[in-house]
Amino acid sequence: MTPGRSRRAGPRAAPRAQRGKDAASYSGARTPRAPDYAQRLPRRHYPDGLLAGLAAGAFLVALALGAPACSRRSAPPSPAPAPASLAARVVSLAPNLTEIAFAVGAGERLVGVSDFSDYPPAALAIPRVGGVDVSAERIASLHPDLVLASGDGGSIRGAASALASSGVPVLAVSTTSLDEVLAAIRVVGARLGRAEAADELARRLDARRRAVAAKTAGARRPRAILLVWPDPPQAAGGRTFLDDVLSRAGADNLVGGRPGWPVLSSEWLATAPIEVVVVPDSPGNRPVFDRSFSTGPLSRGRVKAARIVRVDESVLTRPGPRVFDALESLAADLPR
Amino acid sequence: MLWLAAGLLLAVCVLCGLAFGGVRLSFSDLWSGAGPAGQEARLIASLRFPRVLLAALVGGSLALAGASLQALLKNPLADPFLLGTSGGAAAGAALATLAGISPLLSPGAAFAGAAVSSAAVASLARRGGRLDLQRLLLAGLIANAFFSAVLLGVFSLASSEAARSMLFWMMGSLADASPAKLLALLPYAVSGAAVLLLSASRLNLFAVGEENAAALGVNTERSKALVFLAASLLTGAAVAFAGVIGFVGLLVPHAARAVVGNDQRLLLPLSAITGAALLVAADAASRFAAAPTELPIGAVTAAIGAPLFAWLLLRNP
Amino acid sequence: MSDAPALLEARRLEASYGPNAALRGLDAAIPAGEIVAVLGENGSGKSTLLKVISRIVPPAAGEILLDGVPIGSLPRRETARRIAYVPQSAELVFSIRSLDLVLQGRAPYARGFSADSDEDRRRALEAMRACDVEGLADRDAAALSGGERRRVFLARALAQEASIWLLDEPTAGLDPRHRFQFLEALTREHRARRTTVLLVTHEIELAAELADRIILLRDGRALASGPPAEALTRESIREAFAVDARVDHYPGGRPRVRLEAAAPGRGPGA
Repeated sequence: MTPGRSRRAGPRAAPRAQRGKDAASYSGARTPRAPDYAQRLPRRHYPDGLLAGLAAGAFLVALALGAPACSRRSAPPSPAPAPASLAARVVSLAPNLTEIAFAVGAGERLVGVSDFSDYPPAALAIPRVGGVDVSAERIASLHPDLVLASGDGGSIRGAASALASSGVPVLAVSTTSLDEVLAAIRVVGARLGRAEAADELARRLDARRRAVAAKTAGARRPRAILLVWPDPPQAAGGRTFLDDVLSRAGADNLVGGRPGWPVLSSEWLATAPIEVVVVPDSPGNRPVFDRSFSTGPLSRGRVKAARIVRVDESVLTRPGPRVFDALESLAADLPR
Repeated sequence: MLWLAAGLLLAVCVLCGLAFGGVRLSFSDLWSGAGPAGQEARLIASLRFPRVLLAALVGGSLALAGASLQALLKNPLADPFLLGTSGGAAAGAALATLAGISPLLSPGAAFAGAAVSSAAVASLARRGGRLDLQRLLLAGLIANAFFSAVLLGVFSLASSEAARSMLFWMMGSLADASPAKLLALLPYAVSGAAVLLLSASRLNLFAVGEENAAALGVNTERSKALVFLAASLLTGAAVAFAGVIGFVGLLVPHAARAVVGNDQRLLLPLSAITGAALLVAADAASRFAAAPTELPIGAVTAAIGAPLFAWLLLRNP
Repeated sequence: MSDAPALLEARRLEASYGPNAALRGLDAAIPAGEIVAVLGENGSGKSTLLKVISRIVPPAAGEILLDGVPIGSLPRRETARRIAYVPQSAELVFSIRSLDLVLQGRAPYARGFSADSDEDRRRALEAMRACDVEGLADRDAAALSGGERRRVFLARALAQEASIWLLDEPTAGLDPRHRFQFLEALTREHRARRTTVLLVTHEIELAAELADRIILLRDGRALASGPPAEALTRESIREAFAVDARVDHYPGGRPRVRLEAAAPGRGPGA
């Protein structure tokens, strides 16, 4: 409620001034979809699009639904992280940010987390602030001195920007590549007073990443796609962190040239030279994927014959520290 | 001559629909079927063929339903989408999916939804025993608002997995065409089309006015119920398997009218053929334009339809 | 007066059409072969009567007898072959060739999904010739003038081969030439075909001059009925229309009516 913390007063220049490896954390402009997209999208975006569509035409559905996938505006720039302003009461609006907070040893500072925050188990005990429809009022009632939000998260843009303009510091974190994930760990760590632990964690993760790179260097790169959803088949395209994971694990992403999350046609799936299909695996997902491979859109041609590599969904689809586990297991499981 | 041209148009569109898509299809490979290339060509054809047929059935159904409703209601803006029929069908199919009913039965549920919507809209629009046209369009608006609320409810109750699939269906997609679905659709499409085509003469009288039809010996209440029901059948079947596709039911009859005039005995079959051709072509474009991604077919029909409609509007003020 | 067997007969007829036009227990008899004019204020139920006879509006109570048979018990197509309705104005949304509009008169004779037969076409063109609109056959009926269109609808009634014509305010809005042309065609074809004509009009003078019989309506009931000389009196006109009129009678001829002043005590349309 301090007027000085209005949207305009947010020092837009500050993040740019320190544009180093951390700069990505503040960008968010034109970055692709939120990391936990797969969980969020169905509940929130669909009905919005449908409402518009029924009111104004089927084509509007397409536009409304296409919009979150391709155009994105960040939350208002958050205040610059000043070393003096260490956050003590933190609310995390995304499961990967919750994981990062715990991983840098600052889990006890979280006073509220998004509904999807189920890792580590200690996170389950923290008050929930909503899943997709996070309530700005509920968050404000927790008196946070920092809100962590996905900088590229369309669904929480509303609440995060409402909080920011009412004076609550919001840190918009973009995690659309492994580099950005490492940068996010450092920035979140710094804001939570765990800069050294965060640096140490980031260094270790980076070392593991380099080890994977060394192992896969020179090896044959199988042609792969990573399906985040089977029906209709939707893949991780270019400029997504999953594309980064896939190629660093040693595969060629066949749809890496197409940014975002393209829905693939059965014809292409039946005839493209797909060797490997990477799928996120969870008890909820598995029957849907199985059905698609047996009778659905993945049941014909090349995609049917491809090798399926399953990676635990919560490890693979959340750009936090554990995504490096996914990188390693994927690198080990890919056929060469 | 007219029918030759219409048939030719449909044939060309079907050939284009088979030839163009996410990947190239070589007809010589398809014909020989030899070797990996031949097998691949046959595989693609086996994916594409039911899809082209589905597009034709859906396009024809929507255009025929639109043309019939326009004549029945003496309103060139009547269309299954504007009158809430599509919305009712979508809600019916979504409810059926939520209840776990087999997708092959969803045309039945969509038809029920479409019929309920039509009946509700018609009774809302009734005033002093007559169907009031302005009220009809408003009632369609209300129905659309209501059924979108139903859809919202279904979406929030459905598992996120089911909701995701439903969403893509809603946007309009012919992607999951299969012979089984074609067979499930056929009875609805054929019976609905038969009723409407046989009503063509009566619809001519309605196109001048409902009182006109009554004075010339038509049992107007029965005819209206029959045409609404048949249009709901066609719309329900189309929506159940291809989602909500706008503009076909509105635009195609206008284009056909510009060619043959307003005799429903010519206009209805020509609309059906043109609608089939248009949707087959639009579907080919949706596969081709952004391959390997497919554009939502509804977006393609709107992109083709809206400018054409504007042009028609400017041409005949 | 009504000794001649009635072709059409309304018995305690009640019906409503729209918000404020209604029949409230109308009794009336229409003998075959006559021109019958129905007069009355707006809302007195004149047009409703035509719509009930042509089966556009179902009666709420009472009945219409056609040759002594309740009209509702007859097949619709059969009554449509015998009764033709000529609307006051038809708002044509879709363009339609005049010939096609006249061909619609053949609809009660058509079978299923059939193209128009040569016979239908011949009759339609003949009817158009009779009404002097043959030259308009290929024109869009929506683009015709009011008078031309009304003659096209009259031609349709001829093509329909109906013996009863119902005309709703046939002269409203016509300029003198079109009015003359229409009435000329009407009386000529009426005589030639010996049809029964029931016409609704606001023109008392026209009714007095043209009709063999007048039915004067007030509040959905018949106030007076009979030959013009009997039905049109200063008193009946005053009661029906709230105007004072001068009615000049000529022995053996038609009365001449001249309106003089609005009568006090009742506003028009009340």
